[in-house]
Amino acid sequence: MDDRRPTLLHSCARAATTAEAGYRVDYPNSSERASRIIALDDRAAAILEPVADRSWRGARFLTFEAVRDGDGNGVVDAQLRSFDGGTSLLSEELDGADVAVMVATGDEGAEAASIIGRASFRRRIMTAGLVVRGRNEPNDAVNVLRPYASVLVVSPDEQYIADVLTALRA
Amino acid sequence: MLRQADNELLTRTGPGTPAGDLFRRYWLPALLSEELPENDCPQVRVKILSERLVAFRDSEGRYGLIDEFCAHRGVSLWFGRNEESGLRCAYHGWKYDVTGQCVDVPSEPEESGFRARIKLRSYPLVEMGGVLWTHLGDPDDRPLMPEWEPFQVAAEQTFTSKRWQESNWLQALEGGIDSSHVSWLHSGGLKNDPLFKGAKGNEYNLADRKPFFEVIDADGGLFIAARRNAEEGKYYWRITPWVLPSFTMIPPRGDHPVHGHFWVPIDDENCWVFTYDYHPTRPLAEKELEAMRAGHGVHNEYEPGTYRPLANKDNDYLMDRAAQQQGESFSGIKGIAMQDSSLQESMGPVVDRTKENLVSTDNGIIMARRKLKKAVVALRDEGEAPPGVDPSHQRVRSASVVLPSDDPWIETTRDVLSVTAGVGHSTV
Repeated sequence: MDDRRPTLLHSCARAATTAEAGYRVDYPNSSERASRIIALDDRAAAILEPVADRSWRGARFLTFEAVRDGDGNGVVDAQLRSFDGGTSLLSEELDGADVAVMVATGDEGAEAASIIGRASFRRRIMTAGLVVRGRNEPNDAVNVLRPYASVLVVSPDEQYIADVLTALRA
Repeated sequence: MLRQADNELLTRTGPGTPAGDLFRRYWLPALLSEELPENDCPQVRVKILSERLVAFRDSEGRYGLIDEFCAHRGVSLWFGRNEESGLRCAYHGWKYDVTGQCVDVPSEPEESGFRARIKLRSYPLVEMGGVLWTHLGDPDDRPLMPEWEPFQVAAEQTFTSKRWQESNWLQALEGGIDSSHVSWLHSGGLKNDPLFKGAKGNEYNLADRKPFFEVIDADGGLFIAARRNAEEGKYYWRITPWVLPSFTMIPPRGDHPVHGHFWVPIDDENCWVFTYDYHPTRPLAEKELEAMRAGHGVHNEYEPGTYRPLANKDNDYLMDRAAQQQGESFSGIKGIAMQDSSLQESMGPVVDRTKENLVSTDNGIIMARRKLKKAVVALRDEGEAPPGVDPSHQRVRSASVVLPSDDPWIETTRDVLSVTAGVGHSTV
């Protein structure tokens, strides 16, 4: 019995045809993700504002506003502002979040990256950093984000941010 | 996730398609030099970018790549005779030279001039680095010959194989720039493969299976860097360049030869994977060449007399469940190349990317698709020459380095990520 081989097309690797692809079960295989997209500096916020106006599947777009006291155990929190003007705490936003995406253009967001990165690591939330930087501009934003972003993307073309978020079903 | 319209845009490369026009801006590997080993040797069928062609080497050593079918009644010239500086159709004796010009129509009087009015489509075919390269685009847009280092070093320093992959070119390319699968699918090879084992970098690879990734936009494509922990206060970086349309170079391991791929669409459901191994400063050792010919490293074994892998979809890739259970290989498939292609082929000829659930570690793939789309659209709408055509974009290298954790690799490795003749790779 050990040497039985598949006898039907669909039960062997030859099933990798266009015709057989038609028999793949068709159903939605994922539910909405909770993505938090956070601008770390003013230019990043300006880049994110028109992106936030588009239709998304559960993404919330925010800007880092100020450091706030945390739970009293030495953990700091942060105040965030959404593009419709509302404010919230980082700790609230990260509750139930799947991914925290930090957007930066310079080194002004160093403290913000540290707070968001540490809070996300503590909650085991995936972090990503998206940097808009010209080829000959300094690496400040990259250096700021590197310790806190599991994945870092750097491009001079700010349009890429919306494309990345779309590809990630944000 | 990729919209269906964009998936179609990037995966269709036949004549008249936008991505096909993109590929037709580059010199592409068409076949290996070994396939046309001597003057007047048998001709070879070639399909590339959905065009059926025949390649031959005439009595003077000139290479030709012409329409496969005789202009008379559509017979395949593969059945013809390669003789006296031309390819003669086996049906009625019409003969063509390497430019596709008909030079003899035996049934017509020579004085009629009829033959001069018959010409098959032809493309240039140029030997470089053990590979025959062609340009299928408009001659007015023909770029300078490419300057990929693996194909420019001395013959004894380089080796290229090719294999048929039964999937669209894009999912094959995406496997090449998806660094996050290496720690899983290929975890067995680092310890055992003669073309990998022994490098210090392997220890970092195996000790840290959750690397961090950085994707950096470059003039010709992308640099994709994987960061793993090294000794205290240091990171081990592996940096892979991708240059449009489909060239990658895998980061080196110790003093082993450096390898990589060039993927070329055969049609929309098949591609050639040209796989090179080279060393920029020394000849390849005989034992290294033996290992490459035997299918080690990123090469593969073949069905005898073909460029089809020995492990293929007709034999379930010689799946070895015992090896999988015992941890000799993660997937049960032998060899890096077949581990990749078995999974990429299982996705179907053109994977439905609307169903994907990409995650942050897929950002290399996301950015590559974006860069490709941008290039395709800019060429289609503005006639803009795509990245990767300029030879300066082609003079790239991969690197593996250990750096202090606060050292910005982009700046530190700038010099070692481009070719310096006579200097080896930066490698660990």
